[in-house]
Amino acid sequence: MDIRLLHPSDIPLIQHANLENLPENYFLKYYLYHALSWPQLSFVAVDVSRPAKTPYDYPKIVGYVLAKMEEEPADGVQHGHITSLSVMRTHRRLGIAEKLMRQSQQAMVETFGARYVSLHVRVSNQAAIHLYRNTLKFETEKTEAKYYADGEDAFCMKLDLDFIKQQIKEAEGEEDEDGKKKSKKATNGSVESEDQDEGEPVGDVGRDPEADKKIKVKVGRGLGVGELVERDESKH
Amino acid sequence: MAEPQPPTIHEGATDDIETTTKPPASAEDRKAAAALSNLDSSSADNNDSAQVDKAAATNALNSVSEKKALVEVPAKSKVKVDAGDVALLVAELEVTKARATELLKQHDGDAVKTIRAFLQPAF
Amino acid sequence: MPQVLSTKEANLFRQVIRDYEEKRYRAGLKAAEQILKRNPKHGDTMSMKALIMNAQGKTEEAFNLAKEALKVDFKSHICWHVYGILYRTNKNFEEAIKAYKFALKLEPESQQIQRDLAILQVQTRDYEGYVQSRFAMLKARPQLRQNWTALAIAHHLEGNLQEAERILTTYEKSVSAVPAKTDFENSEALLYKNSIIAEQGETERALEHLEQECKKCLDRLAVMELRARYLAKLGRKEEAETAYRALIDRNPDHTDYYKRLVEVLDLTADDEAAQKAIFDEYSAKYPRSDAARRLPLDFLTGDEFRSAAKAYLTLMFNKGVPSTFANLKHLYSDSYKKETLPSLAEEYLQEVKNSNAEASSDSSKGEGAALFFLAQHYNYYMSRDLAKALEYVEKAIQLDPKSVDFQMTKARIYKHQGDIAKAAEAMDQARLLDTKDRYINTKAAKYQLRNNENEKALNTLGLFTRAETVGGPLADLIDMQAMWFLTEDGEAWQRRGNVALALKRYHTVFNIFDIWQEDQFDFHSFSLRKGQIRAYMDMIRWEDKLREHPFYFRAALDAVNLYLSMYDKPEGLNGANGNNANGDDAAEKKKAAKKAKKEAQKAEKEAAERAAKQNPNKAQKDKEEEVKKKDDDPNGVKLAETKDPLGDAMKFLEPLLQFSPKNIEGQIAGFEVYIRRKKYLLAAKCLKAAQVLDKDHPKVQELAATMQKTIGDVLESLPPKVQEVLKAEFA
Repeated sequence: MDIRLLHPSDIPLIQHANLENLPENYFLKYYLYHALSWPQLSFVAVDVSRPAKTPYDYPKIVGYVLAKMEEEPADGVQHGHITSLSVMRTHRRLGIAEKLMRQSQQAMVETFGARYVSLHVRVSNQAAIHLYRNTLKFETEKTEAKYYADGEDAFCMKLDLDFIKQQIKEAEGEEDEDGKKKSKKATNGSVESEDQDEGEPVGDVGRDPEADKKIKVKVGRGLGVGELVERDESKH
Repeated sequence: MAEPQPPTIHEGATDDIETTTKPPASAEDRKAAAALSNLDSSSADNNDSAQVDKAAATNALNSVSEKKALVEVPAKSKVKVDAGDVALLVAELEVTKARATELLKQHDGDAVKTIRAFLQPAF
Repeated sequence: MPQVLSTKEANLFRQVIRDYEEKRYRAGLKAAEQILKRNPKHGDTMSMKALIMNAQGKTEEAFNLAKEALKVDFKSHICWHVYGILYRTNKNFEEAIKAYKFALKLEPESQQIQRDLAILQVQTRDYEGYVQSRFAMLKARPQLRQNWTALAIAHHLEGNLQEAERILTTYEKSVSAVPAKTDFENSEALLYKNSIIAEQGETERALEHLEQECKKCLDRLAVMELRARYLAKLGRKEEAETAYRALIDRNPDHTDYYKRLVEVLDLTADDEAAQKAIFDEYSAKYPRSDAARRLPLDFLTGDEFRSAAKAYLTLMFNKGVPSTFANLKHLYSDSYKKETLPSLAEEYLQEVKNSNAEASSDSSKGEGAALFFLAQHYNYYMSRDLAKALEYVEKAIQLDPKSVDFQMTKARIYKHQGDIAKAAEAMDQARLLDTKDRYINTKAAKYQLRNNENEKALNTLGLFTRAETVGGPLADLIDMQAMWFLTEDGEAWQRRGNVALALKRYHTVFNIFDIWQEDQFDFHSFSLRKGQIRAYMDMIRWEDKLREHPFYFRAALDAVNLYLSMYDKPEGLNGANGNNANGDDAAEKKKAAKKAKKEAQKAEKEAAERAAKQNPNKAQKDKEEEVKKKDDDPNGVKLAETKDPLGDAMKFLEPLLQFSPKNIEGQIAGFEVYIRRKKYLLAAKCLKAAQVLDKDHPKVQELAATMQKTIGDVLESLPPKVQEVLKAEFA
């Protein structure tokens, strides 16, 4: 089992994993849209022990997180959003979901200056809620009624990412002091929780775009990040 | 996918592209379609970098104009290629006329040599 | 001579364009009609009308009208532009490019036309043309950074890395202000340039560039990884070590970092102890990292392996990690390890028994996990003993009758025993243990398909497809591009003798690959705006070999082989394995096929009715949607009636050979097709490839004999040069 960044060539098998595991599915193009807009944010778990069947095998995806930055943040604050997260049930209890999330969150802060990350989860998905709330320290913001296509409600959960920003600052501070690179603090946190079942995968359905039909989605540079993220004024 | 832009249209117009061919039935489809439908927007091409001085850029352009083309291929047109050979390759190897001509040129117009090279496994 | 419009009509014309862009097709047509009433020969309006009609799916009429428009106004760049768009939307890229070029000649200042041309050129990989277009676009607007980047990309794709780099540098020099740290475009452009430098093999310079220019780049992971890679390549081992350790700290679950670390530490494969020490260090530091514990099992031997494996298995069994076996089975190529692992599992079981410890409340942990492991071990082909496998899995199930995993493995064992029906039944049992889980639903459906229960499988899958999709579960699976289903369903239909539906499924896979290839289209401009160039290049490289993917290969090979059997036995088929169908058999098969087809149609109809009952208008909006191209052969009947199966096979075969040449089955199929089509040279090419791949393969030898015989029979009748080649190749 191997955790690494998502590449475009992974997408067919990510889509396949998504179709196997989740009722919320997407066209290939939507995955491409994520991979080409925020390539730093999506990660995959790959089965490296799988013997090759053909000379053209592609890495088998056993878990993935598909993440993005919210293009038009309603509150004006730069934040990340988890579009879809899923781990094959055959690969539970290795902490894959947690590991994928942490890698993604780190990149959200470093590359896009995210202040927090949000996601939706089915209210019945106990195991996933446990992962987000207990392991990753998400908080439930609100409930969105009938969010999913089958009518189930969703919790909208949110995690403040300033702690990552802090870690980065500290690491950079150490760097400057010593004059040479210190290894960055471990990003997988010190949570010693037992590996729980990540439970059912989570999928994202998103707001009704009808609501902001008038607003054209900006697909240009992330404007405004400079204003929102405190400039690191330390000596560079 | 982009639509024609008659000279009368101001370049701020956005091209909406419907990438799905059916009405998105559910919320995730709508969301995905909304995101995808604004992918190809010619409007965003108008963000002139404030940082770039037009004069400087045009200046810089001059050095680009003088670039040499990629390695000049030695005049292959000198090689005589027989029309009959081209037709043979097109029929027997199912390549295009252009490709057949190119291949023959690579092998000095020798059809047998060309074909034998073509038959070699590519790996 | 283009008619001149009155002011009112000129406004109306602008309205038509707006209507088109905003998909108000009916309104646009009306407006266009108004103009045409007074100006029936206004080419531009005719073209716009054609464009709208094309968007409505009326392709033929659109083309006719567009041609009319051109007749009337040969010099209108709008007419040519529209003509190009029509070709493009109908996938005739060659003609589209020609039309755009014509339009551009008429209106060289049009950035829109230039842009459309450029995008189409890169889409069709016309690199030379793309460079030209991008250069023109740069000349037109040199102050737009994107245009510089795009030209660099064009050169890069063309293979001229030096020039690509030069373009980027030229731009950088022309900029006076220092870009903001949060300028993504700039950050990514720097890393893109860095990748070009590295691709030229200039690692030293790449490292320098990285350290000097890319220090503040926003993609921290990339900077770290590139730096480590360059240092390692340059032999700067100490620094590389630090860099890789930093990467492991960031992600202790990425196996590659450990491998590189071991490399730069100059630890040889024999130096097990030293290597183990590294991993021990990290498994202590990151107890939850699987890689740190599992990777040593790859290189350790003998007793060292045994004790490490024991520790690992104990940990995994205690935690009840279901993928334990899956994660270790690659070790089975080593017979010592293949024997040690199960014996350790047995040991664990003994210890559990002897310890009399309280059984875990979760029976998938501890004893259950070990039993599960052993069941999988004896199920695996390299260590197969299905009776034993069943024994173990039954014990596990006794401990935990609700375990989906255990029940799944039981089904797999039945499958290996050859009892597909029983396996499907057992897998369905597993499914019933957790009806809220799509994974097991998918597995159960797959097993049903393997058991040729197409209709049942569709019903199973229908439990998780979207209820409101018109056309039911099948339509939903097709829409969502479920390759696995299409292939398995097609193969099942084929086994049942339903050629039509089998072909239909394979063709659907083919079409989805076309869609996937089309998908890149918008990104040619999108990615320039987003600035994420390296990701864009990754996508381009992947799309270049899109059909290399096993998803394509499998369905394409299925299709080719099916077409071959159709050619060989046009009177009736006995599935795909080419047994001769005698009279009775053939008639029966035909009956079965007909029945199956009827059932399939019935199921589809029912599903559609079900879907229709649920509010089908839910998703209807005021906005007109594009008309979905009607499928005039929904059940593949026309496909099956083809008079030229081998010709049809070619569209599957060509990409198969082009992108998966090292797959011997493809070459074999290629030979079979070409020799029947009497393309002896192409058959020879396939044969030669197959021989290089595995000349001892029995089928290959058979084909070689066929080739010899065929050549002997037909040689005299072939063109002399062909004769010469064949004689030389098969002397």
